[in-house]
Amino acid sequence: MIRKRLLVILVLALSVHSIQVNAAEEREPYDDRYCTTCHGTDGRGNYGVQAPRLAGMEAWYLKRQLENFRSGVRGTHPRDIEGIAMRPMASKLSDESIADIIDWVGSWEYIPTEVTIEGDETAGAQLYAQCASCHGQNAEGNEALGAPALQGQNDWYLVTQLKNFKNGWRGAESGDAFGAQMIGMAQMLSDDDAINNVVSYINTLGRK
Amino acid sequence: MTRLVTRREFLNLLGTTGGTAAALKAGTALGLLPATGTAKALDLLALGSNNKKVAVLGGGLSGLTVAHELGKRGYDVTILEASHRCGGRIMTVRHGDLIDEIGNRQYCEFDDEPHMYFNAGAARIPSLHSNLLAYCKELEIELEVFVGENNNAYLQDDAMLGGKPVRANDYKTNIRGFLSEMLAKSMSEQQMDEPFTESEAESLLSIIRSFGDLSEGDLYQGSFRTGYKSGGFLTHGVQHDMIAFRDLLAGQMGRRALSAYEGDYGPCLLQPTGGMDNIIAGFLRKVGERVKYRAMVAAIQVRDDGVEIAYDQDDVRHKLDVDYCFNCIPTHLTVGLDHNFSGDYVKALKYVKRGQAYKAAFQAKERFWEKEAIYGGISRMNNRSSEIWYPPHGIHKDKGVILAAYDFGGGMYHTMMSQEERVEAHLSDGEKIHPDYRNLVEKPITIAWHRMNHMLGCAARWRTSFRGWTAEEEELYHTLQAPVNGRHYVIGDQMTMHSAWMESAILSAHWAMEDLDQRVRAELA
Ligand SMILES: Cc1cc2nc3c(=O)[nH]c(=O)nc-3n(C[C@H](O)[C@H](O)[C@H](O)COP(=O)(O)OP(=O)(O)OC[C@H]3O[C@@H](n4cnc5c(N)ncnc54)[C@H](O)[C@@H]3O)c2cc1C
Ligand code: HEC
Ligand code: HEC
Repeated sequence: MIRKRLLVILVLALSVHSIQVNAAEEREPYDDRYCTTCHGTDGRGNYGVQAPRLAGMEAWYLKRQLENFRSGVRGTHPRDIEGIAMRPMASKLSDESIADIIDWVGSWEYIPTEVTIEGDETAGAQLYAQCASCHGQNAEGNEALGAPALQGQNDWYLVTQLKNFKNGWRGAESGDAFGAQMIGMAQMLSDDDAINNVVSYINTLGRK
Repeated sequence: MTRLVTRREFLNLLGTTGGTAAALKAGTALGLLPATGTAKALDLLALGSNNKKVAVLGGGLSGLTVAHELGKRGYDVTILEASHRCGGRIMTVRHGDLIDEIGNRQYCEFDDEPHMYFNAGAARIPSLHSNLLAYCKELEIELEVFVGENNNAYLQDDAMLGGKPVRANDYKTNIRGFLSEMLAKSMSEQQMDEPFTESEAESLLSIIRSFGDLSEGDLYQGSFRTGYKSGGFLTHGVQHDMIAFRDLLAGQMGRRALSAYEGDYGPCLLQPTGGMDNIIAGFLRKVGERVKYRAMVAAIQVRDDGVEIAYDQDDVRHKLDVDYCFNCIPTHLTVGLDHNFSGDYVKALKYVKRGQAYKAAFQAKERFWEKEAIYGGISRMNNRSSEIWYPPHGIHKDKGVILAAYDFGGGMYHTMMSQEERVEAHLSDGEKIHPDYRNLVEKPITIAWHRMNHMLGCAARWRTSFRGWTAEEEELYHTLQAPVNGRHYVIGDQMTMHSAWMESAILSAHWAMEDLDQRVRAELA
C-alpha cells in the first residue's frame, strides 16, 4: 500500500529549530526534532514502535495532544502502554518547541497508511453513523467539536485508542474533557469485533 | 507443619527426574557455547577496475565491518549514521559526552581521565569470540582482562542472613560443601555407583570430596577456602564459621551465584583498554572518512539494478544511488521508513521484538571496594538494581566509575522512572551492600536502551517461547536473511540466532558479504 514517490531534495525550513548547547564547554548539541525516530519517515507512522501517523494531522489537534502528554492528562494510566511510551517524549517540550514541531509536521506530505485490520465494513458503516456527527461523514474531523480526522490514520492505532477509551485508560484523567466524551462513545462498540468493524469502515473513507 | 525431606528422598527425587546414565552419555553433547574458536578468513573478490557502490545504513559494528572489508576490496562505500556517533550499542561514556535518551538527555560529568569511563552497552569480550578478537588484533586495539567472577564480591538478598551481604566465596564454598556431602553420602551408600566401574566410582568420589572440601567421614565442616577469620600469616589461620545451608536456601541467589559465569560469560573475558568504543575507533581509523553523521536514512527503494537511498542531513533530504545496501538499522525502526519491501519481508521486520536493557553508573569519590579487598568483579543483589560492577582498570587510583545497576531483561522498571527516581533507587539498593554508598558516589548517569535515540531497545527478540524457535519464526528469520533482489541485506546481531553479542554482529556481516561475493563473482565471470 505504500505509494512510491519521487524523492526530491527537500529543503525544510531552517527556522526556529532550536539547538541547545551548554555554553561553558563545547558539547554535542541536540534538538527536539526526534519524533521521526518513532513516528517514521516524514511522520508516516511506524507499526514497529506502535507510533501513529503524524503527517497531515490538524495543527490544533497535534498541539492539544502534545500538551496533554506534557501535562500528564494523557499517557499516565498504567495500562496505557503506548501512551506511556509517548508521554516522556513530550514532558520536557517548551511551548516554543511545540510550535516548531507543529511547523515541521506541517511540512510532511500526507500519505494514507497501509490497511492491516480486517472487519465487516457494512456492520462498521452502521456503527459509524453515530461517530459521524462529530468526526464527519468522511472521518475528516471537525475542529469546532474538537474531534480529529480519523481517515487515513493507522488502523492498528485507531483500534488501540478505541480499546483504551472503552477501558478508561485514555480520557479518564481530570482535565481531559475531550477524551472523556470519547469514553462514552466507545461504550457503543460492544466488543473487539465491533471495534474492528468500525475501523475497517473508517479505512474506506477519504483515502486519496 | 512442613515435612522435612530426607537426603535419601531428595536424591531419589533427583534420580527420577534425570538419571545418571543419561548424563554420562550426554557429556560431550552439552554444548553451552556456539561453535566458534578460530576466526574465519574472509575470501572476498577484489574488484580491481570494476566500480561498485555500497551504502551501509547505520554505523553499528556490523555496518563498520562491511565498510572495512568491502573497502579493502575496492568497493565505494558510504556509511549513513543517524546519530552523532557511530557504534550504536557499543557506547562508552566519558567526561562531557551526550547520552541521547529521548526525553531525558544527559551530559556525563565524570572527571576527565582515561580510566574514568563507562561501557554503557557492550562491556565484555568472551575469549571464544574469535572473529571479534581477530579484528582487535588487526586494528591494533589494546586489550586487557575483564574481571567478572570475583570471589570477594558480595551477594545480597533481603531474605537471606537478615539481608547481610555475604562474600561470593563464603556462599559458594558452603553450598559446594553441603552439596558434596550429600553426594558423597549417597555414593558410599551404593545409591549412585551402579553405572560406574569401581575405579570410576573412586575417582568420582574424590572429585566430590575436593569439590566440596569435605573432611574425614565425608562431612562438610566449613573450609579454609573462604579465607581466614583471623591470622593466617604470622599466626595460624582461624577458619570462618560455617553458614547453615538452610540459611542460604532462604535466599534466591543460588542460581545467579553459581551460573553467572558459564557459557559466553565464562572466564577469561577481555575488554579494550580505555573503553569498548576503542573497537569502533579502530574501524573508524580505516573507514572514518566514509561516514556521514547525523544522516538519518529516510527511504530505501530496492530496484532491479540497485537501491535508491534517501537520507536527511542538516534539514536537507539527500539521495544516494548504490548497487548494494547493508542495513543494520534496528528492524522495528526500518519498518517506519519509506520502503518498497514485500509483504512477507515487512511481516518479518515487524515480528522482531526488542529486549529492554538498562544500565546506570556512578563516579566513586574513592575506590572504597579496594579497601574491602575487591579488585574488579561483580556483586549481585536480589533487588531491581541487581548488580554492582567494580572496575578492573585504574587500580589504586583516586577514583573510579562503577556500574550501579544492570537489568538486561526487564529494564522498563527503571526506564519508566524519572532520572531522580532512578538514581535514588540505585542508591538505596546499593547501600545494602556498601552502607556508606550514598556518600561515596556522585555524578550519576543512566542509560535506558529502550529510549536511546535511533536504537529504542537492545537485543532482537525473535523467540517468543523459552523452549526455542517455532517453525514460523525460523521461516520469518530466513525470509529476512535473504537479500532483496540480491541488493538489500539486513545485518547486525538481529540477523543471527545468538543476539546481543558483538561477535554475532560481525558474523552477520560476514554471512552477507559472502552471499554478495558469490553474486559479484558470477556477474563478473
Ligand atoms: C546493555 C548492553 C550490553 C551488552 N553487552 C555485550 C557484551 O558484554 N559483549 C558483547 O559482545 N555484546 C554486548 N552487547 C551487544 C552488542 O553491543 C551488539 O550486539 C552490537 O553492538 C550490535 O551491533 P549492530 O551492528 O547490530 O548495530 P547496532 O549497535 O544495533 O547499531 C545500529 C546503528 O544504526 C543506527 N541507526 C538507527 N536508525 C538509523 C537511521 N534511520 N539511519 C541511519 N542510521 C540509523 C544507530 O544509530 C546505530 O548506530 C550488549 C548490548 C547492550 C545494549
Ligand atoms: C519513543 C517513541 C516516540 C517518540 C520519540 C515520539 N513518539 Fe509520539 N507516540 C509514540 C507512541 C507509541 C504513540 C501512541 C500512543 C498511543 O497509542 O496512545 C505516540 C502518539 C503520539 C501522538 C498522538 C497522536 C494522536 O492521534 O492522538 C502525537 C501527537 C505524537 N505522538 C507526537 C509526537 C511528537 C511531536 C514527537 C516528537 C517531539 C513524538 N511524538 C515522539 C511514540 C513516540
Ligand atoms: C461527541 C463527539 C464525538 C463522537 C460522537 C465520537 N467522537 Fe471520537 N473523538 C471525539 C473527540 C473530541 C476526540 C479527541 C479526544 C482528545 O482530544 O483526546 C475523539 C477522538 C477519537 C479517536 C482518537 C483519535 C486519535 O488520533 O487519537 C478515535 C479513534 C475516535 N475518536 C473514534 C470514534 C468512533 C469510532 C466513534 C463512534 C463510535 C466516535 N469517535 C464518536 C469526539 C467524538
